[in-house]
Amino acid sequence: MSAHPQASARPIASEIIPGATGVRVPLALVAILVVLTLIGVVGFVVGVVTETEPHAWQAFLVNFLFFFGVAQGGVMISGAFYLTQARWGGPGAYRLAESFYLFIPVAFVLFWVLFFGRAELWPWVTKPVAKNPTWLNTPFFFAREGFALLALTLLDLWFIRTSQRVDVRQWALSNDNIEMPPTAIRRIAPALALTYAAVMSLIAFDLIMSLAPQWKSTLFGAFFFAGAFWSGIVAMALTAVVLRGRLAPGNLFTRDSIMHDLGKFTFAFSVFWAYTLFAQYIVIWYGDIPAETFFLVVRGALIGGPAGYTMYTPWMIPTWTVPLLVWVLPFVVLMGVKPKKTPAFLGTVAFLGLIGMWLERYVLVVPSITPRYVPFNWIELAVTLGFLGIFGLCAIPGMKLTIAAATAPQVLEAAEE
Amino acid sequence: MSAEIELVATFADEEECVHAVGVLKRNAVAFRVFSPIPSEHLLHAIGRGLSPVRKFVLMGGIAGVLTGLAVTVGTSWEWNLVAGGKPVVSIPPFIIIMFELMVLFGGLSAALSFFLFARLPQFDPIAGYSEKFGADRFGIAVECDEAHSAKIEALMREAGAEEVAHQDPRAQASVAN
Repeated sequence: MSAHPQASARPIASEIIPGATGVRVPLALVAILVVLTLIGVVGFVVGVVTETEPHAWQAFLVNFLFFFGVAQGGVMISGAFYLTQARWGGPGAYRLAESFYLFIPVAFVLFWVLFFGRAELWPWVTKPVAKNPTWLNTPFFFAREGFALLALTLLDLWFIRTSQRVDVRQWALSNDNIEMPPTAIRRIAPALALTYAAVMSLIAFDLIMSLAPQWKSTLFGAFFFAGAFWSGIVAMALTAVVLRGRLAPGNLFTRDSIMHDLGKFTFAFSVFWAYTLFAQYIVIWYGDIPAETFFLVVRGALIGGPAGYTMYTPWMIPTWTVPLLVWVLPFVVLMGVKPKKTPAFLGTVAFLGLIGMWLERYVLVVPSITPRYVPFNWIELAVTLGFLGIFGLCAIPGMKLTIAAATAPQVLEAAEE
Repeated sequence: MSAEIELVATFADEEECVHAVGVLKRNAVAFRVFSPIPSEHLLHAIGRGLSPVRKFVLMGGIAGVLTGLAVTVGTSWEWNLVAGGKPVVSIPPFIIIMFELMVLFGGLSAALSFFLFARLPQFDPIAGYSEKFGADRFGIAVECDEAHSAKIEALMREAGAEEVAHQDPRAQASVAN
């Protein structure tokens, strides 16, 4: 265990941050989440059985990527907090980032559902790509994805377990010293960061990029995990804004400084997302090679090229809505200090940002399968609601800990300044 | 006016200095503060608002974007470079120039306006300054007439001043403890 002489000298008690025992989740909320999950299951099954189009499968992939990204991004944010020794929100900020962690092992199980839809999603399953058959073939594909996801999931669970240990919580609580975090978490956090980057890149390359096997962009992996990281941040901001008014008066999220910090996060990493997006865009624009540009042409994203490029496609509106919601809106709205500290502004930007990130996953995945039209229908809506339900149910235990940490008197006292 | 004198109080502790600033403000006494570190608590206590530098950074950034736009579009119009079937004025690569000039102009205006508002360079020591305020002590200098000096000195000592020195405000240039 911890070899921290100073930490053990101070009183360590398990009640330093109370557990989630006293926190109740409204039964109506659980019921709604269960109903949503059922709607999703029914919609998915009906879609798979009755539809000739792969609506259910593509919706499943999009939602898998989005919700897994939010949960995984959140855990990575907690890891980043340890790497930077962040104590601005005490344990409350760590629990908030980790709120959705339970969805990660569930996502690992859900991933295997995609095995049965592989022929509907990835073209190389039925028509092997001549250039690279050793990389893109079903056994190796699912073996490496399964292994990578399992490795990341286990590391996440180990990380969360360590992060919620009493000595680590105690470290996060005290802001009046310059101690390093306990050794165990200091070793896991960098390992988590490296594994996150590697596995999320692999997921992006395999699950998304291989939908159009001719297309490649080296930065795509980084773009995907930067987006997942940002979706974790906006999920945190939205959660904080929602909990702010529902918890006891004076809870952690009523602090201006916490709202300000979450606003700054939202602003900064939205810019980073835009940066990785533009870095890919400009290279493709300059090169002007058909094997690269077609990916943007299909989505109506390439402007300023020869006449054909600016041609209207049905994907144009969804595609251009993404940078609007993920970059323009947060950038313009959250530039000042006041809007960052105003929950209505921060919450709206975070909510629209989550929709923007979902739409981003949708625009990355679906046009590769159905390039000529936007196939959104009730089945895709049902599957999305189903994922929302499962995600919400998985978030309950983590959310209870967040609520406990955000209302604990010790946390509030420590976060006074 | 009676004879002006300069009181220079020395504090070992940031909190005491912050406290003294609060006391002086409540008593409506004008003062100058010296700090060996950039202290948020002191800035807050003095009640100095947000720095005007930020407005200059914004203006510089906007000027940079416009300059970048003018330079790229202007030169493209003047010397048409037709390449790869792309339009002569193609925005995507120009964004990079606009962005870089935004950073450059914004950064330079930040540096210049910082010097301007910090009144730098300052070659003569400010009245009341002493080298220890650049090392490990906080200082508060108050210019007042002699009639009030005893009361102000008492206020500062009560707030925790280690030492309150009396100086002639006109003989400041030679101050170097």
